Amino acid sequence: MKKKAITIVLFVTVLALFMAGCNDSDSSADSESDKTIKFMHLWPEGSSAEHNRIVDEIIEEYESENEGVTIDLEVLSNEQYKDKIQVLSTSDELPDVGMTWAAGYMEPFVEGNKFASLDDVAESDELQDAFVSGTTEAFSVDGTTYGLPLELNIATVFYNKSIFDEHGLEAPETYEEFKNVVQTLDENGVPPIALGNADRWTGSLWYMYFADRIGGSDVLTSAINREGTFEDPALVQAAEEVQNLVDMNAFNDGFNGLSDQEAKSMFMNAQTAMYLIATWDLPNYTTNEEVPQEFRDSVGYFDFPTVEGNGDKDSYVGGPGVGLFVSENSDVKEEAKDFASFFAQQWGEKSVSEAGVIPATKVDAESLDLPQMYVDVLDDLNNASNITLFADVQMSPDTAEVHLNQIQALFGGEVSPEDFAKAHEEALSQEE
Amino acid sequence: MYVLPALLLIGVLIFIPLILTGYYGLMDWDGIGEMEFIGLENYINAVQDLKFWDSALHSFLLALFSTLSLIVYLGISMILASKIKGADLLRKIYLIPMLLSSVAIAQLWIKVFNPANGMLNRILMSIGFENPPAWLADTDIVLYAIFIPILWQYAGFYILIYYAALKNIPETIIEAARIDGASPLQIAYRIKLPLIKSVVKVTIVLAIVGSLKYFDLIYVMTGGGPNGASEVMASYMYKLAFNTNEFGYGSAIGFLLLIITLIVTVIVRKLTAEKDEIQY
Amino acid sequence: MNRVGYVFLYICLGIVAVFQIFPIIWLLLFSLKSNREIFAGSPFALPTEWRWENYLKVWEGGIGLYFWNSVWITAVAIIFTAILASMATFAITRMHWKLNKLVLGLFMVGLMIPIHSAIIPLFSMFLNVNLIDNPLSIVITYTAYNLPITMMILLGFYYTLPREIEEAAIIDGCSIHRMFFRIILPMTAPVLSTIVIINMIYNWNEFVFVNTFISSDEFKTLTVGIQNFIGQYMTDWGAIGATLIISLLPILVAFIFFSNKVVEGISSSAVKG
Repeated sequence: MKKKAITIVLFVTVLALFMAGCNDSDSSADSESDKTIKFMHLWPEGSSAEHNRIVDEIIEEYESENEGVTIDLEVLSNEQYKDKIQVLSTSDELPDVGMTWAAGYMEPFVEGNKFASLDDVAESDELQDAFVSGTTEAFSVDGTTYGLPLELNIATVFYNKSIFDEHGLEAPETYEEFKNVVQTLDENGVPPIALGNADRWTGSLWYMYFADRIGGSDVLTSAINREGTFEDPALVQAAEEVQNLVDMNAFNDGFNGLSDQEAKSMFMNAQTAMYLIATWDLPNYTTNEEVPQEFRDSVGYFDFPTVEGNGDKDSYVGGPGVGLFVSENSDVKEEAKDFASFFAQQWGEKSVSEAGVIPATKVDAESLDLPQMYVDVLDDLNNASNITLFADVQMSPDTAEVHLNQIQALFGGEVSPEDFAKAHEEALSQEE
Repeated sequence: MYVLPALLLIGVLIFIPLILTGYYGLMDWDGIGEMEFIGLENYINAVQDLKFWDSALHSFLLALFSTLSLIVYLGISMILASKIKGADLLRKIYLIPMLLSSVAIAQLWIKVFNPANGMLNRILMSIGFENPPAWLADTDIVLYAIFIPILWQYAGFYILIYYAALKNIPETIIEAARIDGASPLQIAYRIKLPLIKSVVKVTIVLAIVGSLKYFDLIYVMTGGGPNGASEVMASYMYKLAFNTNEFGYGSAIGFLLLIITLIVTVIVRKLTAEKDEIQY
Repeated sequence: MNRVGYVFLYICLGIVAVFQIFPIIWLLLFSLKSNREIFAGSPFALPTEWRWENYLKVWEGGIGLYFWNSVWITAVAIIFTAILASMATFAITRMHWKLNKLVLGLFMVGLMIPIHSAIIPLFSMFLNVNLIDNPLSIVITYTAYNLPITMMILLGFYYTLPREIEEAAIIDGCSIHRMFFRIILPMTAPVLSTIVIINMIYNWNEFVFVNTFISSDEFKTLTVGIQNFIGQYMTDWGAIGATLIISLLPILVAFIFFSNKVVEGISSSAVKG
């Protein structure tokens, strides 16, 4: 019986070696002319059927145009994707092409020399005029581009026209009007705004818009990049306005414990009248068949109002979502760059017309058959005077964590606007 | 000989990662670029990190509640193991929640705790509470609110173990006591409890260790929020290592978590050990 | 106990039972709803429209393969864990050797490691031996990480096993190995059933390791199938509910089977004892 135990151990070891051996022969099977590009994305078939299909189509097309190149695909959901990238990067095993977020998320990878410079690709004939201005900048560090942006979202206030009509309200132009809307709704027992602040970036949008309208479009950005300060009176006032709104009962109960998903469903079930979210949500209000037609028809959007006559309504909070990176240590870097470039070119029109994505590449809205709301949003984007990148994306991950926690505390009334500013200053000064 | 395969396996798959965790803790490393050796700096920072101690306190509270709730689980197991009608069916029903994955449990309890539409608040409002708490949004309550699903989730696990232990007691002993005129309560306390003592001790250790490194539901349901009010050691470590690019510091926290757990376990084992226990 | 006492006891037990069973009913309803209904209506309202297509969608997502992977990975890991843990516990509780306590201590420390600290070192180790994207890495990780808890549970039971049987066996000239496999293992059958249940639940629902070590679709397990419905901005909760129900069924059946074994095993070993 002693043998039995030994056999088990041996069996495991042998099996391990055997399977390891198999893997070896697999990888060496790639002869020199055949190249495999490993590509990871975060649009699983189950939740993002159209995205997933478009990616597959682009890959198929690329493979048929480039004999001998195979794309090896791995798909993960958002959170799992981030975790896996983190694990892969510790072992220097990043995929040849993958998805990255802009600015703060990307910087450590750039500093750690993990992402390849894509300047040559971004400035190539095919792509140099392709991107909406400002989007590649978000994927640049010190003037070098490391990512090819795929999406572009701006946050706007969506509102339920039927609820507004019922209470004789109109889309507000100024903050005074906005407050009036909030007050009327609250008096009539309708929670005015859906907010799921357990996710925290949702609350950050409100703060950012106040900052933009009160202090102008660069006050927040310069506070983050240390040209300015969070103790700027405009930023402190922005934080005050947030708390004023909370005190006015503008948000649904228990917002700090609700996820964005839950808040969204309150809005989509007509339990609240307004909802500040980015344009990735557009399909829900236009093409998504699972949402009743009646509801989709009743949704409109308005730009964040001006505050006390200040602010430019064409200035938005938003930013590119994900972009493509190419791994610096890739064995097939040139092929990977070529594929990334091909992908970025193909993605734009397909993604907007088939998956409802607002792409970061310029599209000709006229030539595509798009719902009116898309046409309006694309129009807004064309006329945008400024897009301030989401604060938590701009900041380094550490500072973003402080910012997001402070946002939750600010909304919860656990911190004063002054201390809110101070906490940011501390976090940012630690970084220097 | 008999221990060797198991020892080998945990040696390679648990102890090497464990040592490496301690080692990464000595590094300034974002998990992406180059590592830099900084000695004990991370550990020193951790000891002075108020957020870490807050999360440790929360973990300890969870451990305390988990241990206390063992009494309830034991009581239920005793009732189920005594020969009452329907015990078999009830036992199976009681174990159901442990079959569900954390994803399902989290979704369920998020709906229970929803401040506006949630089951709990609807019930509270219908029996006359005007302003029921916003559970997961309230920094004073969130920690206790989130303990409930955790304790509920693990009920089945401990009932299963206790039940098997109680059923292991030879019927003859209990029969003898009954003939001697002992009441059911006396049998439970004087005879059954001492006989399954070693199992109870093991479950105490499991409950404490499990609580101190607990992660799942807290991460899914609150992410440690609002503003850190429900952060526990493991979720804090995870955030540092995976979300904020402080892999070195996160590893140090992970290693401290282990040390703290080890110390607590040793203390608990000392407290529950008895002199006549030759085996330990 | 008197009649009133019994009625009261049953009422209490009944209430607890309702608490424990309602998640399954809730989950079933959940799996038949759309996102809108899931978040808006009362959790126990019947779906306005019974969306069986959630199940269809899940099935078309290629869940069959994930399902099979879950089954065999779970089963193999349980067998390894149960045998290795029994052997180790037997040695620790029944044999007298010097490092006894130290080894037990090591296993207990194994209980304490948070998996998120282990994951990156494990990944690079598996990478070195070429076991990444190989189901074997999952099987041995599950085995190793379940060993400590399995041993702890076994430990409590081994201490209560009567020594007389072993002594009798040894007097009869039975070798230690024979004794372990022929006498001890069968005697611990009820505990082994308990352990199988616990291991089964852990392995079946685990996803951090699978997600990290496996990248090919052909080796992924059911829990990863759930992730399939979580999107960048939008999540299909109805489909997740359907996946959860599908993945719950086999484990529920297996659970009821082994749960009966807990009792059966005891009565048989009680006769021998």
